[in-house]
Amino acid sequence: MNNSVPSDRRVGVLTRGSLVEGVEMKLDPARNVEDLKAGKFVVIDGDKHEFFSMVTDMRIEAANEEVLLHPPDRADRLMRQVLSGTSTYNIVSLRPMLMMPKSAAGKLDDPRPVKAIPSHFSNVLEAHEEDVARVFGREGDGERRHFSIGSPLDMDTPVCIDMVRFAERSNGIFGKTGTGKSFLTRLALCGLIHYQRAVNLIFDMHNEYGFKAMKETAGSNATFVKGLKQLFGQRVAIFSLDPESTRARGVQPDFEVFISYDQIAVEDIAPLQDELKLNPTAVESAYLVHALYKDRWLRTLLSLDGPQVEEFANEIGAHPGSLVALHRKLKRLENFPFMVSKLQDGDVVDRIMEYLDRGINVVLEFGQQTSMLCYLLVANIIARRIHEMYVKKSERFYATQRPEDQPRQLMITIEEAHKFLNTTAAKQTIFGTIAREMRKYYVSLLIVDQRPSGIDDEVLSQIGTRITALLNDEKDIQAVLTGVSGTDGLRSVLSSLDSKQQALVIGHAVPMPVVIKTREYGPEFYRDMGANTSQEYVEHKVDEDTIALYGDA
Amino acid sequence: MIKARRETIKPESLRPLDRFKAASASSGIPVVSRHGELGEVIESSTIGLVAEARSLHGAPPFGSFVTVASEYNVFGIVAGATTRSTEPNRRPVAFGKTEEELRLEQPQIFELLRTEFEVLLVGYLVDGDPVHFLPPQPARIHSFVFRCDDQIVRDFTSTDDYLRCILAAGHFPADQLIPAAMRTAYRCHGSSTSYLVRAGKELARLLRDDYDRLGAILRRVGGEPC
Repeated sequence: MNNSVPSDRRVGVLTRGSLVEGVEMKLDPARNVEDLKAGKFVVIDGDKHEFFSMVTDMRIEAANEEVLLHPPDRADRLMRQVLSGTSTYNIVSLRPMLMMPKSAAGKLDDPRPVKAIPSHFSNVLEAHEEDVARVFGREGDGERRHFSIGSPLDMDTPVCIDMVRFAERSNGIFGKTGTGKSFLTRLALCGLIHYQRAVNLIFDMHNEYGFKAMKETAGSNATFVKGLKQLFGQRVAIFSLDPESTRARGVQPDFEVFISYDQIAVEDIAPLQDELKLNPTAVESAYLVHALYKDRWLRTLLSLDGPQVEEFANEIGAHPGSLVALHRKLKRLENFPFMVSKLQDGDVVDRIMEYLDRGINVVLEFGQQTSMLCYLLVANIIARRIHEMYVKKSERFYATQRPEDQPRQLMITIEEAHKFLNTTAAKQTIFGTIAREMRKYYVSLLIVDQRPSGIDDEVLSQIGTRITALLNDEKDIQAVLTGVSGTDGLRSVLSSLDSKQQALVIGHAVPMPVVIKTREYGPEFYRDMGANTSQEYVEHKVDEDTIALYGDA
Repeated sequence: MIKARRETIKPESLRPLDRFKAASASSGIPVVSRHGELGEVIESSTIGLVAEARSLHGAPPFGSFVTVASEYNVFGIVAGATTRSTEPNRRPVAFGKTEEELRLEQPQIFELLRTEFEVLLVGYLVDGDPVHFLPPQPARIHSFVFRCDDQIVRDFTSTDDYLRCILAAGHFPADQLIPAAMRTAYRCHGSSTSYLVRAGKELARLLRDDYDRLGAILRRVGGEPC
């Protein structure tokens, strides 16, 4: 044991515990239990290893029932001071997350999963900045993979997530509404774009990521923060379903999105069963129409008027009632301004693919079209087509094995993910497929949701990294922790997060679960992301943009 | 024998009848002594000793720390004092007079009384530093008992093992002696609260299940030291 431990770093002494249930320490009597918070990051200084651990629970104890029956008088400070740490004491539960062997020279190796527990009476120390950096890596270490997303509770050291690992798998960002999901998502996206670890396709339902977003503040003075387009310029393109709304917010969309009826497949309608209140036979009928008219099925169906539908049903041998219902409900699609019978500017999906291939991130804004029906429909159509293209590209790469054929890692961000990935929809929507198996086709999801319990278990268990803000609902907490081992302690941590700017990060991209205070999304962050606001830079940028627009003449 | 010895060391400066006066109660230090001694050992064992106070009623305060100038400079806590007749078979009788009147009318009766005090040994001094072991040999009879230096008390009470000694010594009123000794040590530590808290914690450990007793002792140490 290290005797040179400065006493101000010592939090307590290890007393009992097990590998399965975690360990317990007796809090140093000099410490006040109120200063310790669930989720705090501490280091257990064992004989041979250092164990990086998280505070999961605390309790106050008394060695003697008498003390509890006759508590010392509030004014009797001496008695209370004497009892503190002797007859009355505090026990803190810790969950060791990683261990690092101490080598002879005092240097520490890489962190490993915990397979042992520290010996009796090991000192428990407050984590040092060094410790945090050793576990989570350091931003700007030259590897261009460690991206700081915040700092541990009560510390200023950055906690980094490994963006390479983050991009490898599907990820989830969860939290009740108003807990900062959008900010967390924006941070994660900035990390991916900044390090170019994945190209992003963002289905931006609430217009929060592209250009300017409102920061919710306690008072009435709402402030605005920069969107991805402002931070990364040409590396981000804004596609808009509602160009008016996008322009009203002060930005010209790079592409106005229209969708023709021929682009809608029955697979795109099937996941809308809930929203359109379709019954299964209606979908069957749709397949029947599709069998005859192929791509033109929807256009054909919608071109019919009321009485004609029944005739049409008899013609093709469908159940008239269900086809009428299908027809009536699909008529709603005609109200969407972006639905056209013929495309003017070419296929939106081709354009998106073209941008993605060039490494340009695409934000698809929905503007005023915020109905769930619209979001589900458009996201499905586009994602399905992108999926097909990525499968083809990947297969070509597998066949040729040429590095230039290797597809770029794509991450698709979807909000309100439980609508796409609930138990029934996950089997029908393309997102279910992506979440389950698209890793090998270079596509992963970034799921943003406030109701993770609505998401299919099978999908949840495949999520690599979970960034979770406050959740209160027991079912949601349970859902977020699906597929994570040793969750007992994390449960209490999750429900005790602050409602703002705090999140628990678990999974593939971080070596151990950690509670963070979210990184400030402000001018300093913009600078770190390379958004330069100096006059010189702006002039240079204007020149660059001019060349981009009109060519180098 | 004792009387003869006392006469041999009588300081010149004292007036002939001074020895009939009661010792100054307030200072706690008897005035009649040539070397600053508080008393003389008249009964000795490895765990404790009895000393006769230099003057009548001149025992050092209960709970104070004393040391004996002897082969081993034993170190202990004053655990009790008694004043009684020199003759075991002759008890003093009540005269119905004040002490002042008695001193004028019957000064000889005070010659027949003596004050003795008991010391519980808790360690001894090695090269001036206190150790928490009992001495290999008891203090010698007729060696002098001195008041302990504050510095030595501080050094000695830098650990709280003496509390265990007091609790283990059966025939003393430990519940009174501990607070008295702690108060002495507290004063020697410059009335530092951290000392009291530390000693209190040790006591809490020693008394384990006896929360009431702990409370009683701590209350006697002094209500509002913080």
